[in-house]
Amino acid sequence: MSGRTRLTGRLPDTVTAWLARGVIVFLYVPIVVVVVLSFNDSDVTYRWAGFSTRWYGVLAQDTDLLSALRVSAEVGVVSATLATAGGLLAAMGMGRLGPRGRALFSGSLFLPLVIPEIVLGVALLSVFGTLKASLGLTTLVLGHLVVTLPYAALIVLGAHRALDPALEEAATDLGCGGWQRFRLVTVPLLKQALLASWLLCFTISFGNIVMSTFTSGVGTTTLPLRVYSLLKTGLTPEINALGTLLVLFTFVIILGAGLRQMRRVLVGDGTD
Amino acid sequence: MSRTTVSRTLLATSVLTVTALLATACGGSGSTTAASSGGGKNLHVYAWAGEIPDSVVKGFEKETGIKVTVDTFDSNETMTAKLSTGASGYDLVEPSQYTVQQLIGQQLIQPLDHSKIEGLDNLAAKFRDPSYDKGNKYSVPWIWGTTGFAYNDTCIKSATSWKTLFDSAHKGKLYMLDNMLAAYIAGLQVTGHRATSTDKDQIAEATAALVKQKKILAGYNSTNYPQLLSSGQACAAEAWSGTAMAKVVQSNKNVHYVIPSEGGSIWTDGLAIPKGAKNVTSAYAFITYLLRPEVAAKATDDGSSASANQAARAHIKDKDALKNPAIYASDAAIAKADFLLDPGTAMQYFQQGWTKVKAS
Repeated sequence: MSGRTRLTGRLPDTVTAWLARGVIVFLYVPIVVVVVLSFNDSDVTYRWAGFSTRWYGVLAQDTDLLSALRVSAEVGVVSATLATAGGLLAAMGMGRLGPRGRALFSGSLFLPLVIPEIVLGVALLSVFGTLKASLGLTTLVLGHLVVTLPYAALIVLGAHRALDPALEEAATDLGCGGWQRFRLVTVPLLKQALLASWLLCFTISFGNIVMSTFTSGVGTTTLPLRVYSLLKTGLTPEINALGTLLVLFTFVIILGAGLRQMRRVLVGDGTD
Repeated sequence: MSRTTVSRTLLATSVLTVTALLATACGGSGSTTAASSGGGKNLHVYAWAGEIPDSVVKGFEKETGIKVTVDTFDSNETMTAKLSTGASGYDLVEPSQYTVQQLIGQQLIQPLDHSKIEGLDNLAAKFRDPSYDKGNKYSVPWIWGTTGFAYNDTCIKSATSWKTLFDSAHKGKLYMLDNMLAAYIAGLQVTGHRATSTDKDQIAEATAALVKQKKILAGYNSTNYPQLLSSGQACAAEAWSGTAMAKVVQSNKNVHYVIPSEGGSIWTDGLAIPKGAKNVTSAYAFITYLLRPEVAAKATDDGSSASANQAARAHIKDKDALKNPAIYASDAAIAKADFLLDPGTAMQYFQQGWTKVKAS
């Protein structure tokens, strides 16, 4: 019996193992290609013409691209922070609602997830137009908030729901006021989730192109918009050089800080 | 311990950034107010990436003290969407010719006061008084290019007509641009009509020609066709002039870029001032600056684009570019070339026809 189970189990196991390897290769090949081609001496990305680091030099001089990078970083940090704060507040508020209110509230929070982003973008643009709001950093952050807030709420709400309510009750029993309980018990317990939410929101904001198309304004061309608009004149390995630096940066962040937290949150050990 | 440090650093960074954001926001609005009341020390430009070289912007800033912010867009439609809010904040935009028509129709750009512009005489004849903007009333052409085709003379001796791309002798070695309006330039002109046609029957005729042509094509390609031509994988391909094509024509003597004898087509990206622009004085100063021959020459030397400025040609250092038909097509070649116009309601005929071509 047990022998048969092992036999039938072995073939699918091998297949899934190879499938998994294939998927991993498929996921990482583009990244490797980006890195390799960033050291390309050629003027075009697709043809190899010898090793060179000249595109890193070009990148360091490219003020337009660097200012786009700065805009993206700023917008990413601000919208990730605001979205995570919003997610935390949503989690707190949810506890005070009855079951029906809770369903309605979470439904309205997650609705933007299922509405195509381009619809939200056009809608926001008309709202800004009607209000005669000038497009810029503020509208860009607001647009990114619409996109990131549902994700932040999803993560923080999930983690908060997994918390043992007894911990907060115990804090109250021991004499904590509302603010004290929030600051000393709830937030520390949710720390992992908050960090995971922040990193995810930052990544989403940093790579966003659709919403940025509609909400960016004077002096706020983001990095993805800039790269996309370069397609008309042709991409050079300079973009690969930038991509390589960003990959490196992400690796440092993930290895240095994010990995442990991410795993805990994703595995569900939210109580930590 | 490391976790705490990280979260603290993140928090600190966030707070710093929020503060910075608020500071810039205040600074931004403050300077705008100063500009609108004080006569214009800022200029907000919205342009195609790479078409206004950095060297030009720097030169203008240095000479006038006006601070220029350049944002870039990826399509005319993106730019139109921004302008349609009426509060985009841009003082100068760079629409293509058919978009100039659309922006005029939607009243999103303002008529130019020619008394505030110097150097309009420097423009090449083709760009003075163009069909899409009579008398350059709303726009000043800046750079231009063409749609034609290219061939490799190792398999086609010589070619001057769109018919090459419809010749079954080269079956499986022909490519067309994967772009509706570009395909219809060939389709309309090969059937004896003009590329600007909006006539239902003529477009239907072009559609039939394109459907028939599809059987002998190797494919539709608007990305790496210059390489396919260079390697000989393509005998002939419909092509856009520009950096990518020019490099291949330069490096491979067998590849030739041609404006077809039926006319081909020409496009131009020009400068226009949006309605409600705040720094109009600066915008006029920038247009005048860009019209200077030695400045316009930099569009070719630093930006690898063809300048609409005739007087600039004497100042261009890159003489090879002037001789390269995939950058500067000869005056004779473009004499018959039409500016593609906004097809208006005829757009639906093109779209229906193109769907038919794609589905055949």
